[in-house]
Amino acid sequence: MTISIFEIVGSPLCVASGDGQKVYERLSVALKDSRRVSLSFYNISTLTSAFLNSAVGQLYGEFSEVQIRALLNVQDMQPDDLALLKRVVETAKQYFRDPQKFDQAVRESLGDENDEA
Amino acid sequence: MRLILPEIRHDQAGFQALVGLAEKTENTYFEDIDIDMSTVSWFDADMCSAFGALLYRMGENVNTVRLLNTRPGVDNILSKNGFLSHYGREKIPDRWGTTIPYQRFDAKDDRYFADYIENELIHRDEIPTMSSGLLKKFRESIFEIFSNAVLHSRSELGIFSCGQFFPARHCLDFSVADLGIGMRANIKENAGLDLSAEDAICWSTEGRNTTKRGPVPGGLGLKLLGEFIDLNGGCIQIVSDAGYWRRENKITTTGLLIHSFPGTVVTIEINTADTNTYMLTTEASATDIF
Repeated sequence: MTISIFEIVGSPLCVASGDGQKVYERLSVALKDSRRVSLSFYNISTLTSAFLNSAVGQLYGEFSEVQIRALLNVQDMQPDDLALLKRVVETAKQYFRDPQKFDQAVRESLGDENDEA
Repeated sequence: MRLILPEIRHDQAGFQALVGLAEKTENTYFEDIDIDMSTVSWFDADMCSAFGALLYRMGENVNTVRLLNTRPGVDNILSKNGFLSHYGREKIPDRWGTTIPYQRFDAKDDRYFADYIENELIHRDEIPTMSSGLLKKFRESIFEIFSNAVLHSRSELGIFSCGQFFPARHCLDFSVADLGIGMRANIKENAGLDLSAEDAICWSTEGRNTTKRGPVPGGLGLKLLGEFIDLNGGCIQIVSDAGYWRRENKITTTGLLIHSFPGTVVTIEINTADTNTYMLTTEASATDIF
């Protein structure tokens, strides 16, 4: 099945976290039912990380990487938007994989900065 | 109460002057606040977002705010961008179309904000021709700033924006201010880290750091913005609490203001003559996303 982001958001500007949530809710229902989903970005001109975190990033809190990789694909994305989505996905994986480790990494980065200062 | 404002440029000194105003009016209620602008010989129009936020807060505290003795040049620019129309003046036509109007939004107005950006910034004939790649990155950056304010500030008093472009200098300035919790308090509350105001901004601009907790990850917005500005050759400034952070020519400088701004301000200056193609910094294939 294909889920059209434009159909859900109704605008080429996908910038609001709230709009991303609407996309997420549809994706979540489909993935829970083990449906293969093609997420179409046709006619979408502008994306933000906030939108993509909400629409796609939070899937990693509910489904495994294996499930997502097996069931979800994207289409009609411009190359730079693909790069943004890839970064959002990598951050989400890190965020959900081990929240304590994520926080630890944050603290270490601060420690490193303080050491340099 | 009568307060004198110095000239306001979009730099650390300009923010210093504004937080001084914030400090003097923080606990003022039911007063007439007259701001004497007679010594303001220059006012960078994009600073209207931060200035407007402070004046709005004064109004919320049931004060009557008047801006007095504005010099003709300053009066002209602040009337063209609609700022002074919030304080009893007429909005005058922007003959050269170089202003991006001052506007206040509620946090839930993201679609209204998107329309404002499209109508006042992207689709106006007066805006300098930018490469399609630059225009796309610029548009994304502005939405990232607004989203950041919506997601993190918890501002109940709104989000304020304003801009100006300078055709001869090939640059465009745009600023978004909120009256929210500020980065330092947000990080302390949500990440349990007690940082200085400067460090809090540094922390927030690192890609893997986020105060977001719960089901939706976050943390990329300001990082992406910084990367774009590095490539573009522009400048980004962030003020939050008493922290001041600036990145220009890939160099970050920070400082402490003498008082706190009651929220966060993000100001960007972009180089509109930039001819970078903005090709991918990281390769990504549709089959290798998840």
